[in-house]
Amino acid sequence: MGAKRKLLKGYRGGLLGSPLKWLIANIIAWTIGVLWILPFIGIFMTSIRPFSEVVSGWWSVSPFTPTLKNYVDALFNPMFSLLRGFMNSFIIAVPSTIIPVMLAALAAYAFARFSFPIKNYLFVTMLFLMAAPQQMTIIPIFFMLNNMRLLNTYLGLILIHSSWGIPWITFFLRNYFSMLPKELEEIARVDGATNRQIFFKIVLPISLPGIISASVLQFAWVWNDFFFALMLIFDPNKMVITQMLPRLKGQYQIDWGLLSSGSVLAMIVPLIVYIIFNKYYMGGFRGWAMKK
Amino acid sequence: MAAGIIIDDVTKIFPPNVVALKNVSLKIKPGEFFVVLGPSGSGKTTLLRIIAGLEVPTKGRVIIGNDVVVDADEGIYVEPRDRNIGMVFQNWALYPHMTAYDNIAFPLRIKKLPKDEIDKRVREVAEALEISDLLDRKPAHMSGGQQQRVAVARALVKQPNVLLLDEPFSNLDARIRITAREFVRELQKNLGITTILVTHDQADAFAVGDRIMILKSGIAQQIGPPEELYGKPANVFIASFIGDPPMNLFKLKIDHPLIDTLNVKGYITKHDNIVYVGIRPDEAIASTSLENAHFVGKVILVEYVGSRRYAKVNILSEISMRVLAEENIRDGDEVRIYVKKLHLFNSNGKRIHTINP
Amino acid sequence: MKARGSILSKFSFLIPSFILIIIFVIYPIVATIILSFNINPVPGIDITKGKPIGAENYYEVLSSFKFINRHGLETLSFPMGAIIHNIIWIALHLPLTIILGLLLATLFQHVKGGSIIRSFIFLGMVIPMIVGGLLIQFSFDKDLGVVNLFLKITGLEWAARSWTIYPNTALFSLILGSVWLWTGFTVTIYSAGLASIPKETIEAAIVDGADFKTILFKIIVPQLKPVTITVIAMTILWDLKIFDIVYASTLGGPGGASMVLALLMYDYFARVQNYPMAATVATILTIVILPVVVIWVRMITRGK
Repeated sequence: MGAKRKLLKGYRGGLLGSPLKWLIANIIAWTIGVLWILPFIGIFMTSIRPFSEVVSGWWSVSPFTPTLKNYVDALFNPMFSLLRGFMNSFIIAVPSTIIPVMLAALAAYAFARFSFPIKNYLFVTMLFLMAAPQQMTIIPIFFMLNNMRLLNTYLGLILIHSSWGIPWITFFLRNYFSMLPKELEEIARVDGATNRQIFFKIVLPISLPGIISASVLQFAWVWNDFFFALMLIFDPNKMVITQMLPRLKGQYQIDWGLLSSGSVLAMIVPLIVYIIFNKYYMGGFRGWAMKK
Repeated sequence: MAAGIIIDDVTKIFPPNVVALKNVSLKIKPGEFFVVLGPSGSGKTTLLRIIAGLEVPTKGRVIIGNDVVVDADEGIYVEPRDRNIGMVFQNWALYPHMTAYDNIAFPLRIKKLPKDEIDKRVREVAEALEISDLLDRKPAHMSGGQQQRVAVARALVKQPNVLLLDEPFSNLDARIRITAREFVRELQKNLGITTILVTHDQADAFAVGDRIMILKSGIAQQIGPPEELYGKPANVFIASFIGDPPMNLFKLKIDHPLIDTLNVKGYITKHDNIVYVGIRPDEAIASTSLENAHFVGKVILVEYVGSRRYAKVNILSEISMRVLAEENIRDGDEVRIYVKKLHLFNSNGKRIHTINP
Repeated sequence: MKARGSILSKFSFLIPSFILIIIFVIYPIVATIILSFNINPVPGIDITKGKPIGAENYYEVLSSFKFINRHGLETLSFPMGAIIHNIIWIALHLPLTIILGLLLATLFQHVKGGSIIRSFIFLGMVIPMIVGGLLIQFSFDKDLGVVNLFLKITGLEWAARSWTIYPNTALFSLILGSVWLWTGFTVTIYSAGLASIPKETIEAAIVDGADFKTILFKIIVPQLKPVTITVIAMTILWDLKIFDIVYASTLGGPGGASMVLALLMYDYFARVQNYPMAATVATILTIVILPVVVIWVRMITRGK
């Protein structure tokens, strides 16, 4: 018989073997976890203290005078008011979520349930579009929007984001729809419903979790976007919060007080969305990335 | 080589307060084929996992052979790998990315045995289990029965002292089950290895077990050879759990007319005002012409279970029971019923006596 | 289930989406390719700057020191050219995030509160990448950065400086920072993959006597092969398209030492305002990612 071991109270056996290893594993894991979020803690600390205090490290314990001055400076910055940026991000992100989710849901349902010519080619096209770099489209878009007088407008950016979101949302929702049991739709068809009626009255209501996941992810993606906004919006009054951030960097010196509060403001919304809608966020993320 | 197993007052509580096993004690003889039988949630798989070392008991200890493999009070624990056990999981748990050969060879490779020794043993055990021609296949290309044999081979190849089987037949379809059961029983007898099998299917248990323990909600109900469990069930739960078709069980007040008819008054103590009377369908017969019938009744339904013919009969208008039926019995017939054997239980459900009235 | 209904009714589900896609995604992609050959794709304005039609833009980009800097390669000093930087990025970032992802996913599976720690690690994927770039610069800052704090604490003070402003360390600091950001992705995917491995295969290995290392490499990793392919494809694509992080922290500097392909395209577009060249860089970037995309698409469509 092999080596005996002392049992730790509450030990349940398992992969890790001895209870000592379990303890070590927990210590390592939590240390890694805490270390990992240090930059977040740091940027937050820097944002609530006057910059002069953190000049040699935000971890300095004294003096410690919490202040909202950095936030005020950022929000009401004369050139790049983050308050304006905050609102602009919403103005862009909300429609840029609703429009593509609605349109893509229709398309996704078609891919999931209908058969029609060239269906597979169209779907593969969607897949390739999902992977395309933003840089590959921006030059013609720039000049196209200029022609349409939509450059530097909310509508223009919303159109671009909506179009950009359709391929991945279609892919995502198509997978979601195809996993729904078909019986409900089939009964409705026997009852005489048309495709449209089945979609809007039966499929959509029971697909709410998938729709929410797609919406949450698209919203976060649009809010976090930088490149499209950078290229298509120049008026500081219309800039979104992400594109304002680099502009807060000084020419010669970085005011980390300002920049840190700006960073916190820029990331607070996606973080809150992540926390509140965590189930849908992670479910959507896994479903998107793991679908085979 | 075969080792006996002692389960000594084992209790297992899962947090927060789920009692999976309560004061379970038993002694398994070396070379015995022991079955733990119980409905789902009875704790039988937990017991098996504790013996294997995949779980740890809250109280009590387990001894394999002469070694204490776990003692909750003394704080002793031996790793599964050091207990010299072979285990077959309910869904075989074959490594899907390896061939049958590699699956079976895996435990030997861990022990770092020389290559030719490994090859010899793998082929030996494959032959014993009649899977020699499957060695190059991966699990996905095998039937359920074949996968099971590979799993058993993997468990046996390291020549363990104890073999643990977790519901090995529940994933097989009905036809293969019978041959699989015979196969496992013969194999066990030939190898003489102490074996514990866990199942919820009483037919499985009866087909292979030398002795059976019935578990309900973590508490041992009865331990004994199949005949004993069948013929002298210790309580009403066991009586109705074992036997197909299930036993007819009547809960009767002691002044019920049936008590007199069946002549069991003498066995009832003063403390009971209710008794349970159990009559197995196979131990009573309905006939149109019987001399010493115990009562009469009217046939509601005639049915076949396997090769036998049963009648569901209404007696005393509010009681119906299922009994063997003679050839000529039809629906609606008036019949006379003779009871060969009955089981009497007190108001707590515990067995009083088995009577031939 | 074959949905009945006219072809028109079926296509009506698709048409609004495809109108938008064709106008704002497909056409621009095609137009960019055309523009790279100096053919004017947009009516109403000539953005080709009167250059002759042909592939000369490609020669120019491919031989540009901004794309591949031979001198930098020979002397192993930065800048080495945008595409070299992207390749280095992949070479470091890919193995690090995959190994970290797998190890951490396994670790967190067995630890109390593992899902909370996982969400800590995932935070990097939730925030805007522009903030991510700023956080990286912040962390590598001489005075404010946690990296330098630890270097000083562990006695490696000689390495402590603002990594992002020196040519020889700028790219590496960004790459390391991007590992910190992206590992949340690999950990999440591997966690889901690990959860899908039947617990009994691991328990059978325990009973068979395998130790942790053997179980990890011989039982777990082989069963994660399809997941690993997805992770590799996604990571390479992300590494090649990286933009926000670099823009926020170094803008490709100092002196192009952290220039990457996507940023190079931006440089040609916004600063030099040479649109055909910008289109060429964009097309080259797309060509580079194409093989990875093809593999990924094949994997998805095969599973249908």
